[in-house]
Amino acid sequence: MAVDYMSLLKLDERELAQRRAFFEITDEDLARVAKLRDFAARHGDAIVDDLYQLILGHADSRAFFADETMVRRVKSMQKQYFLGLFAGNCDLRYVQDRLRVGASHERIGLEPKWYLGAYGRYLRLLLDRLFTDFPAAEAQAAFRSLSKLVAFDTALAMDTYIAANLDTVARHQAAIRELSTPVIRVYDRVLLLPLVGTVDTHRAQQIMETLLLRTVEDQAKAIIVDIAGVPVVDTKVADHLLKTTAAVRMLGAVTIITGISAQVARTMVQLGVDLSSIETRARLADGIELALAKVGRVIAVKA
Amino acid sequence: MTTQVMAQRELQIRCEDDIVLVRQAVRVMAQQLGFDAFATAAVTTAASELARNVWTHAGGGSALLEEIRLAGRRGVRMHFRDQGPGIADLGRALAGGFSTARSLGLGLSGSKRLVDEFNVESTVGKGTVVVVAKWARFSSTTG
Repeated sequence: MAVDYMSLLKLDERELAQRRAFFEITDEDLARVAKLRDFAARHGDAIVDDLYQLILGHADSRAFFADETMVRRVKSMQKQYFLGLFAGNCDLRYVQDRLRVGASHERIGLEPKWYLGAYGRYLRLLLDRLFTDFPAAEAQAAFRSLSKLVAFDTALAMDTYIAANLDTVARHQAAIRELSTPVIRVYDRVLLLPLVGTVDTHRAQQIMETLLLRTVEDQAKAIIVDIAGVPVVDTKVADHLLKTTAAVRMLGAVTIITGISAQVARTMVQLGVDLSSIETRARLADGIELALAKVGRVIAVKA
Repeated sequence: MTTQVMAQRELQIRCEDDIVLVRQAVRVMAQQLGFDAFATAAVTTAASELARNVWTHAGGGSALLEEIRLAGRRGVRMHFRDQGPGIADLGRALAGGFSTARSLGLGLSGSKRLVDEFNVESTVGKGTVVVVAKWARFSSTTG
């Protein structure tokens, strides 16, 4: 699914006006670049070719372009982009068009350094040709106007990169959360939940819900929660454990907390957390033995 | 003899995940300063409690972490600042078992027991600053 960068970046009329003001893009600038359309049409192909000489001349940046067909396609997109600079519009439609450029770079994994480097050449190519075609004063004014639009576009591209990355991170986090509460049935009516990592509010809720559902489904009598992999057990984590235990108890099962290190035990006592309502054991093995006893089983040495 | 600040680092607390970043930074600092496992757990847990208070009660703030030295001893000092509602009854909050956030209510009082130095200043409507310090139990011989 395509990411809606317009809403992600909160790009509305107000934001656009603010950006235009900060980048000092005036109607005069837009009128000036619009007058350069013939210039753009005249030099477009040559400038795009020159740009891709840079990109294709370096093995690392060339690697993003699989074959001739793809190069032809991106060159034609680049040409459209180039002509767009001279459209003389800087409205929401223009912004939407510009965001597509950043998004497509992000999609193929082209890092900002290649984008920014290529953009530098873009400006130099424009500068040279403007001063060849026009008198100095006119060329300078045109370049000033164009450089504002280029800076505006660059900011949009960077924003897209960042937004896309944040979006990826958020999706990964969601995926990790999905995987982070694996309830294992270790024996008939005995469940084990090994907790690894941080227990934040969202995860604590998920742990509680998953455990309660599985307790009912499996008609579990004993649930072992191993916290050896939780780096910091603070009052919040303790609070979650106490609440989960109380809820599980309502379903007729006991919770056994295992994997309590010497440091965690000491810290809990110093904090003043009372875990005496929960069965606790240092080692998972002891917890399993206790859980089996709750369902009337023992681990015995083979005769 | 005054306490020297050897290094410092400021972290913003803007979301729940930032609490994790704060305590990870504190843990690394404590380990580098030669804290033993118990002291490391204590100072890291205190950081977690106090950073959580900033987030829960004020919606955000900052944590300034300092490596400090006094007469050859090394320690960690942490300043937690927020511009939240402030603590109306500091005595009650420090006594423990009292919470305005439906939690165990042991964050502030418990943290106090986990560290060597503890100071809290709070103005209702203005915000709260909690400064705590924990020293490595044995002074480092490497200086």
